[in-house]
Amino acid sequence: MFDCDVHNTWGTVEELRPYIAPAFREWFDRGEVPGTRPAFPAAHRAWLHPEDFKRADAVPPGGGNAGSDYELMCEQLLDRHQVDYAVLTGDEPIEVSTLANPYYAQALASAYNDYLVDVWLPRDRRLRGSLVVAPQDPQGAAAEIRRLGDHPGIVQALVSSGAQRPYGDPFYHPIWDACAEVGLPFAVHLGGNAGINGGPTGCGPPTFFWETHALLCETGMGHLASTIAHGVFEKWPSSRLVLIECGIAWVPALLWRLDEDYRALRKETPWLRRLPSEYAHDHVRLTTQPLEQPRDRESLWPALADIGARDMLLFASDYPHWDFESPATLQLPVDWRSAVLDTNARELYRIPSGEEPTQAKEALVDGQHA
Amino acid sequence: MVSTPEASTLPRGPGERRHVLFPASELPPGARRIVEVGRRSIGVFNVHGRFHALHNGCPHKGGPLCEGRVCGTTLPTDAYTFDYGREGELIRCAWHGWEFEIATGQALADPQVRARTYPVSVVDGQLVLTL
Repeated sequence: MFDCDVHNTWGTVEELRPYIAPAFREWFDRGEVPGTRPAFPAAHRAWLHPEDFKRADAVPPGGGNAGSDYELMCEQLLDRHQVDYAVLTGDEPIEVSTLANPYYAQALASAYNDYLVDVWLPRDRRLRGSLVVAPQDPQGAAAEIRRLGDHPGIVQALVSSGAQRPYGDPFYHPIWDACAEVGLPFAVHLGGNAGINGGPTGCGPPTFFWETHALLCETGMGHLASTIAHGVFEKWPSSRLVLIECGIAWVPALLWRLDEDYRALRKETPWLRRLPSEYAHDHVRLTTQPLEQPRDRESLWPALADIGARDMLLFASDYPHWDFESPATLQLPVDWRSAVLDTNARELYRIPSGEEPTQAKEALVDGQHA
Repeated sequence: MVSTPEASTLPRGPGERRHVLFPASELPPGARRIVEVGRRSIGVFNVHGRFHALHNGCPHKGGPLCEGRVCGTTLPTDAYTFDYGREGELIRCAWHGWEFEIATGQALADPQVRARTYPVSVVDGQLVLTL
């Protein structure tokens, strides 16, 4: 079983310091941070979770951030639910996208990536990493993908869904180009709705945290439409877009709308060869959490089946966040389970079957299985 | 609607009827005329000197396909370039603007969609439609 959204973090952000490039260490040591030091230097969203956004039982017994205690992660998630592979998505690092200074943002992302490769990936063969990049610095992000993207534990490049513009825009094409060259999916995780980035919706700021959280699918819609419309999947036929924690129930409705409007106004995008829904089926993957909950749970699936979503969905728990989805209680159509829980992710992340770690805690050492 | 001529009819094979429409000289290159044949509305086109006929009902939502703009479009490209071409070869449905190739009825944006076409020929200077 693959869990495609697991949040790992540091006990204290000071753990990042050794990995900060020398030119930016003064920024890190003395520069402003939100609240009191130590804190990760990024703009904070305007919607504050009234209970914090972590599972209360995931705070390590010895203190520190939820998601910082590897042993607790094993106990609560990896061992308990027999996870074969967990795709780590970090926690605060994707918030570098909110910073106006793209160079500092990328320096922070690179520091996190080195920390990830140095501290987290060696802990456990079940862990796979997401390379965080600063999308407001497309050239720097591309360089970072080329620097570390071929590490065997790295499975995708990752940015926040909050963005300055939708990710199909040619502004970001250096990132898509690097992903295609290195062979990594481009993943977009909920977050980054602050600082230089656009708001979560197009009609002005919502008010409450839960209201905003429910609406965050809107950024996923924009990125999905943009990536298809700009012909990213024609320009880089091997490219994959992974939308993490943006919801799934809206996807059929949006693809139907895109197909319909494209059929009428094809002339605006003469580089496309297929219907938007066809590109989506072959190139877009979506994590399931937080799975929408209709009154009749069965009513979620027919529309998704219409777009072939069995081939597009990836199970994710979002451990250790407040909207955690337990694999134990997840309800999927019976004949979708193996695809959503295993084979879709295995194919996306190019992990052949039969390579499950037999000794889970046997780490990747120097890029080889020890 | 451009005009509604009286279409005279002549018997042909079983299940088929030939309908003499009007003199071909009345439809110069680039022109289009809507005719009513029985209960059917049909668009007759002269595209670069060749005659074509399309059912005047869009396969999308039944709009008056043949009353839309005769046009060209942006040609397929591998780059962010806009090459205009096929001027006069396409019809854009009057309602939602779907593009169809007049000669074949093929929708440009979706290979699954095709508008109905009818054979049209010139006999003794008259346009003859076969239904």
